Amino acid sequence: MPDFHPRIIGFLCNWCTYAAADLAGSSKLELPPEFTVIRVMCSSRIDHNLILSTFYRGADGILVAGCHPGDCHYGEGNYYARRRFALLKKVMETLDLEPERLELRWVSAAEGNRYAEVVNEFTDRIRKLGPSPIRTSTRL
Amino acid sequence: MTQAESILVIGAGIAGMKASLMLAGPARKVYLVERLPIIGGKTIKNEESFPNMECSTCMVAPIQQAVLQNPHIETLTYSAVESIEGSAGDFSVSVRIKARYVSLEACIGCGMCFEVCPVTLPNEWEESLIEKKAIYVPCSGSLPNVPVIDSERCLKLNGTEECNLCVESCAFEAINLEDEDRLLELKVGALILATGSETFDLSALPGLGYGALPGVYSPMEFERLFASNGPTMGEITLRGSGAVPDRVAIVHCAGREEQGYCSGICCMYSFKFVRFLKHKLPDVQVFNIHSDVCVPGKNYEDFFRSVNGGDTEMLFTSSIADVHVSGTDSGLRVAYPDGGGVTADLEVDMVILAAAIIPAPLTARLAELAGVELDDSGFIRTSLDGSGSMETSRAGIFTAGTVEGPKDIQSTVIQAESAAGQVAFLMSSMADLTERDPSGKSVKS
Amino acid sequence: MSETGTGKTEMTARVGVYLCECGPNIAGKIDLDKVMADILSESDRYRNVELVIRRYGFLCSGPGKQYLEDEIKENGLTHLVVAACSPRDHDSTFMEVCSRTDLNPYLYRIVNIREQCSWVITDPEEATERAATYIRGSISRVLRQSSLFEKPLEINPDAVVIGGGAAGMEAALALSSDLRRVFLVEKSASLGGGCGITMPQEKAVIEDPNVDIYLETQMSSVIGFLGNFEIGLKSADGKDEEITAGAIILAIGSDYSDPQESGRISFSESDEVHILAEAERTLEAAGDLKLRDGTMPETIAVVHCVGREEQGYCSGVCCSSSLKLAAAIRRLSPETAVTSVYRDLCLPGADGENVLRMARESGVELIRTKGTSLSGMELDLEKMDGTSEKRSFDMIIPAAAIVPAADTVSLAEMLRIPLDEHGFFKEAHRMTDPAGTTTEGVFIAGTAHGPMSVMSSMRFARACAGQVLTRLVPGERIVPEVKVTEILEAYCTGCGNCLDVCVYGAIYADTDRGISVVNEAVCRGCGNCFASCPSGALRTRHFTNEQIFREVDEALR
Repeated sequence: MPDFHPRIIGFLCNWCTYAAADLAGSSKLELPPEFTVIRVMCSSRIDHNLILSTFYRGADGILVAGCHPGDCHYGEGNYYARRRFALLKKVMETLDLEPERLELRWVSAAEGNRYAEVVNEFTDRIRKLGPSPIRTSTRL
Repeated sequence: MTQAESILVIGAGIAGMKASLMLAGPARKVYLVERLPIIGGKTIKNEESFPNMECSTCMVAPIQQAVLQNPHIETLTYSAVESIEGSAGDFSVSVRIKARYVSLEACIGCGMCFEVCPVTLPNEWEESLIEKKAIYVPCSGSLPNVPVIDSERCLKLNGTEECNLCVESCAFEAINLEDEDRLLELKVGALILATGSETFDLSALPGLGYGALPGVYSPMEFERLFASNGPTMGEITLRGSGAVPDRVAIVHCAGREEQGYCSGICCMYSFKFVRFLKHKLPDVQVFNIHSDVCVPGKNYEDFFRSVNGGDTEMLFTSSIADVHVSGTDSGLRVAYPDGGGVTADLEVDMVILAAAIIPAPLTARLAELAGVELDDSGFIRTSLDGSGSMETSRAGIFTAGTVEGPKDIQSTVIQAESAAGQVAFLMSSMADLTERDPSGKSVKS
Repeated sequence: MSETGTGKTEMTARVGVYLCECGPNIAGKIDLDKVMADILSESDRYRNVELVIRRYGFLCSGPGKQYLEDEIKENGLTHLVVAACSPRDHDSTFMEVCSRTDLNPYLYRIVNIREQCSWVITDPEEATERAATYIRGSISRVLRQSSLFEKPLEINPDAVVIGGGAAGMEAALALSSDLRRVFLVEKSASLGGGCGITMPQEKAVIEDPNVDIYLETQMSSVIGFLGNFEIGLKSADGKDEEITAGAIILAIGSDYSDPQESGRISFSESDEVHILAEAERTLEAAGDLKLRDGTMPETIAVVHCVGREEQGYCSGVCCSSSLKLAAAIRRLSPETAVTSVYRDLCLPGADGENVLRMARESGVELIRTKGTSLSGMELDLEKMDGTSEKRSFDMIIPAAAIVPAADTVSLAEMLRIPLDEHGFFKEAHRMTDPAGTTTEGVFIAGTAHGPMSVMSSMRFARACAGQVLTRLVPGERIVPEVKVTEILEAYCTGCGNCLDVCVYGAIYADTDRGISVVNEAVCRGCGNCFASCPSGALRTRHFTNEQIFREVDEALR
């Protein structure tokens, strides 16, 4: 699929990863144009509905990124996010949606380089996976 | 706003920033003076802080942003206090705002000017492990993200040649090479001194090889070596050779004897370094050469235990003052008297010296300006009445953080909060003198 | 406004979209004219929406802000989108501009087309397309945003201090003034706490007309939040009283660990083993330490670090107390030989060094061991050179670890604040908010926080006082966060999931109505509860799924 341009949504926590994305920006690192950033206050705010609906709306991949465990601005929100993601991945399997299309990563505010790595790596992964089966199925 | 409602905070590290944020409000204006072109202090030099191993930037950046965006805080970066006159409730302070040559309002931090500047010089903020240009910000992620020109090294400003490259590169007309120092006269009711500390000058300990042997590192150098926004982008490689270390010795208590006190945090940052090393180099062997393990308080022993044995071998020495580091063909040798007093040798390729925390060189000068007493170690003296007060020997002048003595971030913040409270109390009691309490309660004698 | 509507005729929304050139930083990469044309060309996608779309050099500059203010007023904008830099740089700048007009700042949105677009996407065409996508997402989203209004709350500046030890008394003194009363609540019959010595503040506290002292009294109930607490007090004789205050400072102190908890230490009641705090008190009161038969001991061993292993932390003060006591015994009874047995010396600071020098000079014998065990009156010392030695003493003084006070658990439950891994009150943030708790308005001082010296206890107390003094200013109001979570009562089943996940204790159960209720003055708007709700009964203001889906839909179009 040489011409496949995936549509990827990144939900970033305001305090750590969004700051890292800004740092990647001010460091003028290169990021893929297919990646759309959406800012949320905390990774713990991401519920099943937001993820699954985003897939049903046509996303090929979703990256959720927040503060490292132990660093949450709200105490322990990211631990909740981690638990919810374990369950979400199982739900995705039952929907015939590759769990690799969803990724939860920790990127701190100082890690501009790492942010760029994570985003580029995830985008490459989705490029290889091809369009989401939801998008190509007759349902949509 | 009268002077009784304004406060001057000197030093924009975590203590100064916290105190400023607590005090600033519609009824109280805070002037926050910082010597460096950026705010944030020492904490932002650490990628992670013990014991949570929390990302320091994540922890401090929201505080920095809050300071810069607070309408009741006037942050004066690249500035220095020149005189302090008066008394509690009525101080006159003059502050020199050094010529930055770059407009804080117009510059947006795009960094175009760095690329064209022909002058390179060591970046002291990065412990001189990397170079910067004569127009620079100290590090990536600087706040405010506005460069400054080193007037002694800039070709135009030091008169070497008519270089105008940065001015031409700037799309925002933010650079003005005609900029001059400005003097600001402030009337304030109280001051908080929060100018921080330094680490012990390791070159004073020739037996430990710092400065002579490239493989020997100061703690701040190692912090920057690990930092993902640091000179090596966080790759732990040896100075000179660029090789990855296999065996690392951390020598505790460097300068303790000379300073005459235990700084109380070096054991913890040493164990943090163990975590750093094992995190990036899982196969590295780390040795801690120590006499005492000082990990006071509820948070620290757990951390020590998490590295002890598995990640690092704790090597006891009966005399830390007799540890000696020398160069060998393949690396470094650390000789130390063991538990029985017999000299043991350890071959390593990197040595990190856990340096003591000492008063910053400018502390004595500041104390003189402020007319406040120092303690026997050269830190600013507080709590003269033993009540934990953060007031110095001069009424109306308070202090917070490591300018008062070595301490961890938690204790620094506690002191900042204490000092802010005392200033707020002083301010309200002075307001009380002029207007009687409207509730009609009896006035305390 | 469009989303509220007025009867049959819907009002038209006027959305202003302003693109900042940011010199070459945005305009040099992104073809702003193309973005504007593209968005305008499909403006019929928005029903009852009129778009005003313009570009400007530097919107964050003084003239830029004035321009924006004038535009909002002249065009009668109902919504505003600013496509510029990161919200971390200038969100507050443009909110401030809105607040100078009639436009509610929550009907504005900043779009980051610099850090996350023009600076990171190499190809200008792709960057232009991406910027248009981001801006469309924000136009669509801003139309779903609602006005939010700050609700300033009146506050009560008074404070309740629980615990009349060094920390509690210091906090009371640091706070009390004619503008602020302090209620000092002490469980026992006297002030002074666990220090074992008369504290110098005691007299000042008793004489302070603005400190009300409640002895033999405990807190029995509490409701409320920063600025407005209602606290029930119960005295030993069963009397109930209710007081109101704006803040609560927990200064309940700590206990000592039982030395025999350690398997390495065993002795019987008849053995001359006395814990350090007890010995300190006896020495202070009597001037010497005698054996039970009234004779003076010839040899005394002070054993450091008893309980460190078991508790999992170094109390940080026992080395200093042990050596001080050892030196004092030597000074008062020079004929008694005193030995200090330690593993590590933890004596931070110049004071620590002085204590060590004092101990050495007074002739205290210092023995470093890898480990020590005690059986009866005999110590088994494991020396650093690998040998071991058994030595008997006339008196043994173990320096027991500082452990949480017995009341810690019940108070934590009452206040809905968590405990840390060692059972002390847990701070809101170990480093940036060490005196605060997850419940705003409840603070921790002294050894209720963890083991610390008397000096540190007083500093913690003053830090708590500092929080109260700067946040609860008499006559001023506090403004809680507005981007918080609300409960849609019709959907709430009262399952209580949200109560469990909220670290701030901002949600409570209304058992009468069988639903959960959010205390908006306490909520910080993280949204964790939202994600835990199985019935969609929660909504995080300004970050609702409906709003976020607008951004998603435009990105996936």
